[in-house]
Amino acid sequence: MKRYALALAALIAAGPASAQDDFNLEDAVAVCSGCHGEDGLPVDEEYPILWGQQFFYIYTQLKDYAAGRRENEIMSPIASEFSRDQMKAVAQYFADKPWPAIDAHAEEGDSQIAERGITGGQCSACHGKWQGDSRIPRLAGQQPGYLRKAMLDFKNDVRKNAPDKSSTMKQLSEETIDALARYLAAF
Amino acid sequence: MKLKFLKALLALPLVLVAGSAWAQEEVGGGTLYGDLSYVTQDMLSRAAGDGNNFLHTNGNYQQTRYYPSRQINTDNVGKLRPAWIFQTEIVDTMETTPIVVNGVMYVTTAFNHVYALDARTGAQIWHHKHDMGPITTYCCGPNNRGVAVTGDKVFMGTLDAKLVALDAKTGKQVWETEIADPELGYSETMAPTVVNDMVLIGTNGGEYGIRGFVKAFDTETGELKWTFHTTAEDSTGVWATHDATGRDMLRDIEAEKAALAEQGDPYETLGGGVWQNPAVDLETNRVYFVVGNPSPDLDGALRPGDNLYTDSLVAVDLNTGEYVCHFQYIAHDVWDLDAVSPPIITTVKDADGNDVKGVLHGGKTGHVYVHKADDCSLIRFSEAMVPQENMWTLPTADGARMLPGANGGVEWSPMAIDPTQRLSYAINLHQPMTYTVSSTPYPEGKLWLGGSFDVIPDEEQWGNVTAVDYDTGKIRWKVRTAEPMIGGVLATAGGLVFTGEGNGLFKAYDSTSGAELWRFQAGAGVNAPPSSYTVDGTQYIVVAAGGNAQLNYKRGNNIIAFALAD
Repeated sequence: MKRYALALAALIAAGPASAQDDFNLEDAVAVCSGCHGEDGLPVDEEYPILWGQQFFYIYTQLKDYAAGRRENEIMSPIASEFSRDQMKAVAQYFADKPWPAIDAHAEEGDSQIAERGITGGQCSACHGKWQGDSRIPRLAGQQPGYLRKAMLDFKNDVRKNAPDKSSTMKQLSEETIDALARYLAAF
Repeated sequence: MKLKFLKALLALPLVLVAGSAWAQEEVGGGTLYGDLSYVTQDMLSRAAGDGNNFLHTNGNYQQTRYYPSRQINTDNVGKLRPAWIFQTEIVDTMETTPIVVNGVMYVTTAFNHVYALDARTGAQIWHHKHDMGPITTYCCGPNNRGVAVTGDKVFMGTLDAKLVALDAKTGKQVWETEIADPELGYSETMAPTVVNDMVLIGTNGGEYGIRGFVKAFDTETGELKWTFHTTAEDSTGVWATHDATGRDMLRDIEAEKAALAEQGDPYETLGGGVWQNPAVDLETNRVYFVVGNPSPDLDGALRPGDNLYTDSLVAVDLNTGEYVCHFQYIAHDVWDLDAVSPPIITTVKDADGNDVKGVLHGGKTGHVYVHKADDCSLIRFSEAMVPQENMWTLPTADGARMLPGANGGVEWSPMAIDPTQRLSYAINLHQPMTYTVSSTPYPEGKLWLGGSFDVIPDEEQWGNVTAVDYDTGKIRWKVRTAEPMIGGVLATAGGLVFTGEGNGLFKAYDSTSGAELWRFQAGAGVNAPPSSYTVDGTQYIVVAAGGNAQLNYKRGNNIIAFALAD
């Protein structure tokens, strides 16, 4: 009986059956780097930079992908393979890397439009100086294509794992979102 | 010549070292009540009359922010000049009130750095960086509003929801205790209050579906002494249909009752943050504090009932934390026009014109509310200090315009009073907004507004400084400012009112007339409450200029102390 209980406890401790039993951090991050970049620079402009991103933000997003709170045909199946501890290890790996510099430029007039949007949406109340903190992601120097897509996904109810962002983004025009994306990428 | 120069050069480091030692000794020599940094309960209790120190975030237990020295006054304030400027490591939003103990000043910055400074020179004595955990969840900016002091310790609440006690002499941590779980949305930005060997502190988190509280911890050990939950287990209340000023809040009571029967009482995720210090009444052994908005801010469908004790003034027993009385300003608030600015205890006229012990609160609605202290009941409310339009229009899916916007009126900014003139001084925002509702379930620690409040970009924004006669509720004077106001007010016996603005201006007004008597451009938003102190016979006014994250005012990192030019 005692033995059975111990075995059960071990099983529970091992986490859900879907977690990778043969998890190897190096292999896991190699998969991530296929899209997010060997050197931290993503292969597609709509993919986010993970190097130097906030640990708790990455971890939360992986949890949300796994639970279906955030949906993406590539990320959802990958994240659902990880246990929570494995997610934490992956998040820590990327959080510890240096943020890579990208070549991003704002256009003339962007800063005025962006500042108006920031004041209107009270963005800095949470995002501060755009460097990120814990569950708040870094936006400064992020890929402009990804920033634009993320804001539009919130606006159009495609991304639903931060529901209040949808309400805020609906108040911003696409022109403002475009300007904000360039402004933040070049910040 | 050469030899003389060399000698001078050699002497230089010695002079510098000696200078610093001399400064330390002088601070010790300036001590009035004991050794260098020791703070007694008697000092804390008598702070209202202490013209040397600034021992509480809001000046004294009554939270009057009325400083009793008059060396700097209406006649000479025009000669006020910077005495020193100290720059902190963190260049970000600053809401700290400098605390001064016998010539030593304690200030905090964003992300929980604490500095001890020589209050005469601005020289740094020590610098403590909180070892922040990986999980923080906070609104609205990585702020900290300062420390509390007693004995040989300095206390601070942190963004990762801890309470830390530091050695006042060295800045070294003595103990640390977790106040609540940051992953669920709890965080600390308020300064604690210390009384009778207890540290009192509330919590942020009304935007994250927390269950709010005020807790008391032992100053020596960090052990929890009592907890008062700001959301009652039966939070339904009396199904109030009108607010404190008698306006219909357009509640659908029948729908709420049906929702209550179906969903049960929402108290576990009902919010009710306490953002600012309680006022302490040592005569009756009570503390008075105001409780913030219900969660989610804009979506009332998920929280039927009055949502007690959100948007309320509450009194509890100082020794036990047991409920004494409350008054709710807005039942079932769906606009986040909650109660944040710290309450003030002072003598007020009741409805019959008799002097009674009263409690004042400056609301986000733009009213100053005047209560009887003994039962929390409302005696009167002031004329509106800002425009009010379409109150109470319910939030809609497309956004409904209503004034004031969700930042107020009076935000967290502490008011000051001048009890000799029976005037309160408040700073206000005029920031037109739309209120949008969008119902989503409890997101387990993520932002949970239930919609959004959005500034209307084409409408003009501004602020004001307003003096209200709290015996009548009439506005005595009002001065408009270029930008919405957030920070705080200090009044002094010198007939002055000090407050700062987002554009970097720090101003002194005549407390009787509102005439501007002095201004200084600080180079970054002055969005923190000023304080005052006297060392070696010189009175100083001190304020932080670090801007503000919530309103996106220009950030900086300066602590600026002013004194009269010779």
